[in-house]
Amino acid sequence: MALGRNQVEFDRQAPLLEAEEVQVSIGKKQILESASLTLERGELLAVVGPNGAGKSTFARAFCGLRRPSGGEVRWMGVGLGELRGRRLAEVRAYVPQRAQVPAGVSVQSAVNIGRSTHLKPLQGLSSEDRDVVAESISRARMEGFEDRDLSTLSGGEMQRVQIAIALAQGAPVLVADEPTAQLDLGATAAISKMLRELVSEGMGVVLIVHDLALAAAVADRVVVMSHGRTIATGTPGSVLTSQLISDVWGVEAELVHREGRSALHVEWLEDH
Amino acid sequence: MATLIALLAATCASLALGAVHVPLGDVIDTLLGKQVPEASKQIVEVLRLPRTVEAIVVGAALGVAGACLQGALNNPLASPDVIGVTGGAGFGAMLIILLYPSSLTLLPVSALAFGLLAAFMVFLIGFTGRGGGNITRIILAGIAVAALFSAGTAGLMSAYPDRVPNGIFFLVGGLTSTGWDTLETVWPYFAVGFVLAAFMIRPLDKLMLGDDVAASLGSRPRLIRLIAALAAAVLAAAAASVAGLLTFLGLVIPHLIRLLGGSKSHTFVIPVSALAGAALLTGADTLARTIAAPVEMPVGPFLVLLGVPLFLWLLRKAV
Repeated sequence: MALGRNQVEFDRQAPLLEAEEVQVSIGKKQILESASLTLERGELLAVVGPNGAGKSTFARAFCGLRRPSGGEVRWMGVGLGELRGRRLAEVRAYVPQRAQVPAGVSVQSAVNIGRSTHLKPLQGLSSEDRDVVAESISRARMEGFEDRDLSTLSGGEMQRVQIAIALAQGAPVLVADEPTAQLDLGATAAISKMLRELVSEGMGVVLIVHDLALAAAVADRVVVMSHGRTIATGTPGSVLTSQLISDVWGVEAELVHREGRSALHVEWLEDH
Repeated sequence: MATLIALLAATCASLALGAVHVPLGDVIDTLLGKQVPEASKQIVEVLRLPRTVEAIVVGAALGVAGACLQGALNNPLASPDVIGVTGGAGFGAMLIILLYPSSLTLLPVSALAFGLLAAFMVFLIGFTGRGGGNITRIILAGIAVAALFSAGTAGLMSAYPDRVPNGIFFLVGGLTSTGWDTLETVWPYFAVGFVLAAFMIRPLDKLMLGDDVAASLGSRPRLIRLIAALAAAVLAAAAASVAGLLTFLGLVIPHLIRLLGGSKSHTFVIPVSALAGAALLTGADTLARTIAAPVEMPVGPFLVLLGVPLFLWLLRKAV
């Protein structure tokens, strides 16, 4: 804006995110062959798949953290290539898998940093910004923790701070890479409820997750990845069939899912 | 606040004390342009004021350089040595002192140029190509380049052993009462370094939460690292050209600030490191030239004597 460059306007009618046949290469080796997804407003989309299927690479690519070597990504109708820095930060927030935990930083100042995308280089937080920060902390259910040092938090608390930082950005899309991978049952449930709340407020959430039972319970739709490709998309019930689980994971299992409860019945020791 | 008071006290002491004592009243009157005895005026204006300003600027520069670099490399051991600046500047200075002793006026320029050259080499290796910007790569490149220049310095010293004593003052670091000449040459570098550092405060705070969070917030981690390291290189090279190799200050000041202040936020650490670096160098320099007056000691060892016990005490208290 300050540079007077003509800004491309976001299309409020377009899907929040469209990724089409995204490819990523390291040198000559293609690590993501063709991955696609669409995210609508008020939707929680889970990206599932075995380890090494390319879930994180795909997420980093459509979030603009790593350059795709092919395909197309549009955020609210605007091509990823046209979105730089702040403009990209306006539309999506990315919560990394493993958070860096610096000692000597309070929850409050960490979330303040999340708001800094709205500030000019040497400008301080306005009272409006402070309100957004306080609201982000409360949406992430971290009230009362404001003055705690990050290094004193538990894994679940730290993950909620990460989400609070992302919420302070004020973007309509939250992309979280395995936010519950290292959390216990209670903390996982807390994060899941919180993500559902954000979705009911109209946000779009992309959740990278390997836990199929969790994905089935929380997601509106799932995208299945295998060997660098997205191979199936749809509601958890229609996509996560025993046949697909067997094809992709090589394990005989049945997903039991009703009324917000889910379980994966696995034949752990059978050879097939 | 406390650091600001310490800086003011150190500044007053630096202007008033020395081989000849000038009453503080005369110092203030001189600065305000009022009538004072000619001898006092001469001492303050020609000798002590430039030196005090040098101490403040160099101390602040080293404090900021250390804080920027430790933030950029996310490494508490980082100091201007790590990006080769110290080794390069040392070589540049010794080149003049040992090979061209007749053109000593070129010393600051040569120290600055070689300090920046060394940093440039480190950045070239550390930031370009695939995987560029990797912290370990930058630090290893820095150590290698520093070793190269140190070997060059050692080579020069063994070739001209009789002239080495002239270079010792530079190597241990110290200020001299030589008027405004050096500052007049290098002030733009200080200015550029301080401005760059000021603009890097918030990006460095983002980087503190990890590269991915910084990227989520729309920053480019590599670019932040490069600019912050560049600011540190320019400040450290300019500081070396004025006061020799006072590396200790750059390493320790930001740690002192973090330990005393209990916050790692760069919004706090960088400005306060500037004040504290200025205060410590000004104070130590005053001490160094008064303690055995009229003989002046180089300030480098004094800084270490003052700073190390304080630092070690804090270090033990903190953990």
